[in-house]
Amino acid sequence: MADEVVDHGRRRFLTATTAVVGLGGLGTAIEPFVRSWMPSARSKAAGAPVTIDVSKIQSGQIVDYGWRGQPVCVVNRTEAMLATLTSSTVTSRLKDPDCNAVQQPPNCKNPHRSIKAQYLIMIRICTHLGCVPDFKPKIGPETFDPEWRSGFFCPCHHSRYDISGRVYDGSPAPLNMAIPEYQWIDDTHVRVTGKEPATYV
Amino acid sequence: MIKVFSKEWFVERAPGLLPAYRKHMTEYYAPKNFNFMYYFGSLALLILVNQIVTGIFLAMFYTPSARQVFPGVSEAFASVQYIMRDVDWGWLIRFMHTTGASMFFIVIYFHMFRSLMYGSYKKPRELVWLLGMLVFLILMAEAFMGYVLPWGNMSYWGAKVIISIFSAIPWIGDTLVTWIMGNFIVGGPTLNRFFSLHVIALPLVLLLLVVLHLAALHEVGSNNPDGVDVKHGPKGNRWSPDAPKDGIPFHPYYTLKDMVGVGVFLLICAFIIFMAPKVGGWFIEHENFAPANSLVTPPDIKPVWYFSPFYAILRTIPDKGLGALALLCSIAVLFFMPWLDRGKVKSIRYRGTSYKVALTLFAIAFVCLGLIGADVASKVILHVLGPNTDITWWLHLIGYIFIAIYFGYFVFLWVYTFFGLERTKPVPERVTTHD
Amino acid sequence: MTKRIVVPFVLALGLLFGAAGAQAQTLMDSGANVRDQASLQRGAKLFMNYCSGCHSLHFMRYSRIAHDLGLSQKDVMQHLDFTGGKFHDNIVSAMPVDGARQWLGKAPPDLSLVVDEMGADWVYTYLNSFYFDPSTTVGWNNTILKNAAMPNVLWELQGIQVAKMSTPKPGDKPVVEGLELKRPGRMTPAQFHAATRDLTAFLEYVSDPSALPRHSMAPWVLLYLAGFTFLALLLKHEYWKDVH
Repeated sequence: MADEVVDHGRRRFLTATTAVVGLGGLGTAIEPFVRSWMPSARSKAAGAPVTIDVSKIQSGQIVDYGWRGQPVCVVNRTEAMLATLTSSTVTSRLKDPDCNAVQQPPNCKNPHRSIKAQYLIMIRICTHLGCVPDFKPKIGPETFDPEWRSGFFCPCHHSRYDISGRVYDGSPAPLNMAIPEYQWIDDTHVRVTGKEPATYV
Repeated sequence: MIKVFSKEWFVERAPGLLPAYRKHMTEYYAPKNFNFMYYFGSLALLILVNQIVTGIFLAMFYTPSARQVFPGVSEAFASVQYIMRDVDWGWLIRFMHTTGASMFFIVIYFHMFRSLMYGSYKKPRELVWLLGMLVFLILMAEAFMGYVLPWGNMSYWGAKVIISIFSAIPWIGDTLVTWIMGNFIVGGPTLNRFFSLHVIALPLVLLLLVVLHLAALHEVGSNNPDGVDVKHGPKGNRWSPDAPKDGIPFHPYYTLKDMVGVGVFLLICAFIIFMAPKVGGWFIEHENFAPANSLVTPPDIKPVWYFSPFYAILRTIPDKGLGALALLCSIAVLFFMPWLDRGKVKSIRYRGTSYKVALTLFAIAFVCLGLIGADVASKVILHVLGPNTDITWWLHLIGYIFIAIYFGYFVFLWVYTFFGLERTKPVPERVTTHD
Repeated sequence: MTKRIVVPFVLALGLLFGAAGAQAQTLMDSGANVRDQASLQRGAKLFMNYCSGCHSLHFMRYSRIAHDLGLSQKDVMQHLDFTGGKFHDNIVSAMPVDGARQWLGKAPPDLSLVVDEMGADWVYTYLNSFYFDPSTTVGWNNTILKNAAMPNVLWELQGIQVAKMSTPKPGDKPVVEGLELKRPGRMTPAQFHAATRDLTAFLEYVSDPSALPRHSMAPWVLLYLAGFTFLALLLKHEYWKDVH
């Protein structure tokens, strides 16, 4: 039993190395558990793209579809509705008329907030606290707004939106309603996609 | 000013914390001669943590319902497949849980055998042993219920057979079985209550018992392969003048040594998990890949491998009541070890030759009973003696022989030590250091 | 002393398990290899073409097959989708369960886990063991699963096998001793074995798709753990110098 001098330097080095390697392994081992919380393949399947046939929607009408548990609405806008989008009665009273906040894909950053002007495809959820706003297509005075030019009115806390989902001043909601990613696969069919699901492990 | 959360800040508010750490880690002096058999306690703790963590995550995705999601398949069974296929990394979490369950029993059997070899159940450690035996009992219940949850065909039929053992209890047996099942047959209610017991009730009990087990151990200090009490030996070592000379601080010496043990153990487990998680049907049985079907009995109903020895005892005895009693006794007798073994010498190293032979035979009997219970013995006999042998007769023969050896060990031990027939070797004054 | 007892014991156990395993060898060796992606692709095609009319793979999605077998969405939906499902859907056979019971006597079981349950060799042998039997409802029987209600859907590829019956002792019934190919199919026996091997490999993959990532990760995990254990050993030895 030799009474050696303790090599503290070697001890510190070995302890540090083992600790780093061990913690690195532990961190790597934690990753699968954290990732398991991401949407499963079943959720991704339920959230898979949905294809909508717009040919049945009459002019001036709105139809709602489910997608990823959210209401996606399609509005077949009239010429009169589209004209309101550039009128100053509307644009001067909006919080974000130029859609500077990123609530839409780049190809929908325009007054009609869509690829084809006629059809609005939007996630119909109020950006205040998440209610589904009422569809108010009348171009004319309403009880909540004497200068109403068609759009959406949220019954919960009275946020108002124009017929492109842009939020009015005086509304508690901070942002325009969101536009999902979508593509037109032909003249009458639009496909709402959102982001691509990640690879399986 | 004392800085918030500094050492002094804690000492002011929880003065017992640092002394507790010292008492249980850096100034807990464990004998310096721990060998291979002493890795298994810390490994068991590691596995417990693994089962809890993986279990928590599995419970996020598992559905404890026997309702049919499509013809023949329950929500529970489908949710296990959901975990295996749809949940990112779900397969890893599931395989870590199943591998952990089987490894738990391998580790625990070695851990218990260590106590038999070195007399760790003897005075003053009877309480440690009893608490450990309770842990073992609860662990068996926990593992049994866990196996029912996937609601495969073996889950269902295994549950049916094991629960029906309770009907052997006189007078209350049948009512007890109905009470356990929550139904007139094993079904949805059984599954639901097993889920709650497996996920919350028993783990809490298990954690409490493990804490008590460790606390009881620390009160009296660890035994060692020589069975020599280091506290009765000379005092003074290089860390403290009052500590046992042959003791070393648990931290850092045994924490570091156990870490090496953990590394080797994880290597084995990782090989199993990544290369062969079913281990040829031993860790996950083939029949359980078919969903539970009350109309189709599997050709051989047998429990998972770790229950095989006890299952063999149950099945070898043709009478249901006696078989159940024998099964109960085979576990209960272990509780009495501290009082059956009257010998003064703790470790097998210094005990009589007959004792060594007896313990070896006991171990062989346990394993062979396991082979009988797992249907390996029947296959070997058919292979060796040809397909026309009367397999039932042979299984009964070897079954009775090994049951006799199993119980015989305890009888032998009592007679041997009570009547002073044992011729022990001289026990050294101090521990013999390991190589 | 522990070593002198434990080591020979464990070795003896190993021999016993070997003996027990050897008993079960009345099955053909499938030779299925889930790591052969081309084999899995061929097997997938065979399954969808010949089996998915009756048998579902409820726990498998088309999108999963695309990802694991290196196929595009277009490939999968054009060449493999026979059930009319969408890309992310599970593979559910179009055959109605009640209809199946009426027509075949038994609903065709879901095959998602058949290889995990019965073994690859069993499935392979089953596919190769059909023979013509006029006494059954469907006209076919199988030496592995007697009186299976399933017809031999692969007969065009395999050809038609007939049973060679034994000459029984008086009072006993004749039993099937072996099978021989009476009428050849479009494939030679070797080709048919390869095809059923592909099909078995595909079903083995379907039983446990995690086998693919598991096998590829294994060497890295084991390497890391070996490295960590070695470091832990060095650290332990360094500190234990105090003890010796």
